[in-house]
Amino acid sequence: MQEKYFETEAENLQKFVDSLIADNFDVIAPKDKDGDVFYGKIDKFIDANLSILLPKVSYKEYLLPKTETLFEYSLSGTDVNIKDGLDMYYGENKKRVIFGGRPCDAASGPIMEKVFNWDYKDEFFNERFKNLTIISMACEKPDNYCFCTEMQLSPESSYGSDILLKRGDNMYYVSVLSEKGLSLITPHLSLFKEISRDRMPAGKDWKKVFEIGKTKSFLDKNFEHNYFQDRFLSCIGCGICTYTCPTCHCFDIQDEGNLKEGRRIRNWDSCQFAIFTLHTSGHNPRVTQGDRYRQRLMHKFKIYNEKFNKYLCVGCGRCSRNCPEDIDIKEIAGDLAGLI
Amino acid sequence: MANTDEKLQKIAKDLLEGGEVSLVIGYTKGSIPQRMRPVFITKAQDASRLSFSCYAVQDLAVFLKKPEVKKFGKIGIVVKGCDEKAINALIQEYQLLRDDIKIIGMECNGIIRQNLADKGEAAVSETTVYDKCLICNEHTPVLYDYLVPSENQKLNLSGNIKPYAKIEELDSMSAEDKSAFWKKEFDKCLKCYACRQACPLCYCSRCIVEKNMPQWIDTNIEETGNAQWNLIRAYHLSGRCIGCGECERACPVNIPLMLINEKMARDTYSLFGNKSGLDINAKPVFGVFSESDFNEFIK
Repeated sequence: MQEKYFETEAENLQKFVDSLIADNFDVIAPKDKDGDVFYGKIDKFIDANLSILLPKVSYKEYLLPKTETLFEYSLSGTDVNIKDGLDMYYGENKKRVIFGGRPCDAASGPIMEKVFNWDYKDEFFNERFKNLTIISMACEKPDNYCFCTEMQLSPESSYGSDILLKRGDNMYYVSVLSEKGLSLITPHLSLFKEISRDRMPAGKDWKKVFEIGKTKSFLDKNFEHNYFQDRFLSCIGCGICTYTCPTCHCFDIQDEGNLKEGRRIRNWDSCQFAIFTLHTSGHNPRVTQGDRYRQRLMHKFKIYNEKFNKYLCVGCGRCSRNCPEDIDIKEIAGDLAGLI
Repeated sequence: MANTDEKLQKIAKDLLEGGEVSLVIGYTKGSIPQRMRPVFITKAQDASRLSFSCYAVQDLAVFLKKPEVKKFGKIGIVVKGCDEKAINALIQEYQLLRDDIKIIGMECNGIIRQNLADKGEAAVSETTVYDKCLICNEHTPVLYDYLVPSENQKLNLSGNIKPYAKIEELDSMSAEDKSAFWKKEFDKCLKCYACRQACPLCYCSRCIVEKNMPQWIDTNIEETGNAQWNLIRAYHLSGRCIGCGECERACPVNIPLMLINEKMARDTYSLFGNKSGLDINAKPVFGVFSESDFNEFIK
């Protein structure tokens, strides 16, 4: 689609979001909770906290729920009734908007979409992704842990957003990037003033501190390097990096139930758990936490890139900010780039 | 502070040079000035990396359960008073031999809450430190081989701030209200098990949640699975938790786990007169039976 550009007063943006809520959209936005900020459903625009950099956890759960029912079964006599999990998804409110997330988070959707449509088309993911409209807010001030620029994005990048907002003086510049975005604002066009592309503020020149290609080159050749075992002695295998990550998507399929009724579910899982690769035989190919953190680096900065031509990391820095042991992935990716 | 660091570095250097330990676990500067991180020193010349401050938030005793760390044999470890109690509890539970560990105790006047430190907070005061620091009786560790005294001021308590105040509030609630409170908290749980991994006393090589023949604990990350997980962990830590607060700090969704742990600790103390991790020669409170134990539930 040809991109369209608009201006809107700050108060009109508020009216727009409040109208979406009035139109029965679930609007998910950064929201104050328990002394931090998390994504959550807002009831009105002012419940959104747009002053922070990033919510503590990504909005991945709106694409891949923490637990998702794939199907349910029940037995009556000799009859087996199967209920498709997708029907349960269709029962949810499908009109869903993520509002006020950052360009890094927005990029996670199309990146994950690749693996969910690789050898098998994952209808659950696809349905959720199709129905999610992303209105992102460009960043003005990344922090020490941010490295989207190194990850081929930028604090202002539009990849994955349907609408991208840039803050002006008590107003916003609005880039409408997709049909989904356009159809969202079309009923509310009176709140927006269309402008030409040249009226849009120029992007800044964001500096990189390392080249991710060099990180990859190091990983290509150094599977057995001492760096991994030494550096990740401090990793306690808590998995927070993967659970709060917008692109980590591993899940575990489990059955719950009995002879009469039950269900098959998929739950979030993490490569940082010792049990993740434990074979039935008792053998574990990833014995140490160094092996397991290396896997996370390999998957993000090498394997995914080779398969899908995208790095499985958007540089949001959550894994570093949230790590109880202060393991900083930006520093590590930079270290590895420097070791080549 | 520099002086404290020098003393600490000298102890570690001597321990490594003298071959008394093959590894010293301590703190070093972290990713930002308000953060510290664990560091693993195996060479005497690297001891200069060691440091300590009011940002030394981690309980390093957690590493003693890690197979990769156990391999080092005799280990020196830098601990605050709270963390040191974890070492005592591990010795009490036969997870660690006293002779295998050299305890470098740090006199501590309180640790700044990480979320405040991240926002730039630099002053140690009763409003900036963890609740555990406000009830701490072990600013000087109860057991150590070396002690590094603090050069900072003692934590000044006005008495106006009530640590873990929510516990009294919860105690006064009806069972339904309490249940509603915890249901809301456990709803947030991601089942990442970071609470378990960050805990120095959660050392089972195979946790109950990982036992799947049969599956004792529901795997779902919903109401049933989350409640089961959080409750089973509360029980497994009762009478054992030494209150380092690492589970709560690690929790990515801010479940107030210390309300549970502190409540269990208070109950254990009032029923059995026991506080965990104070005496390596004492038997674990739930590992022994005594005729004087609280037996009113058997009627």
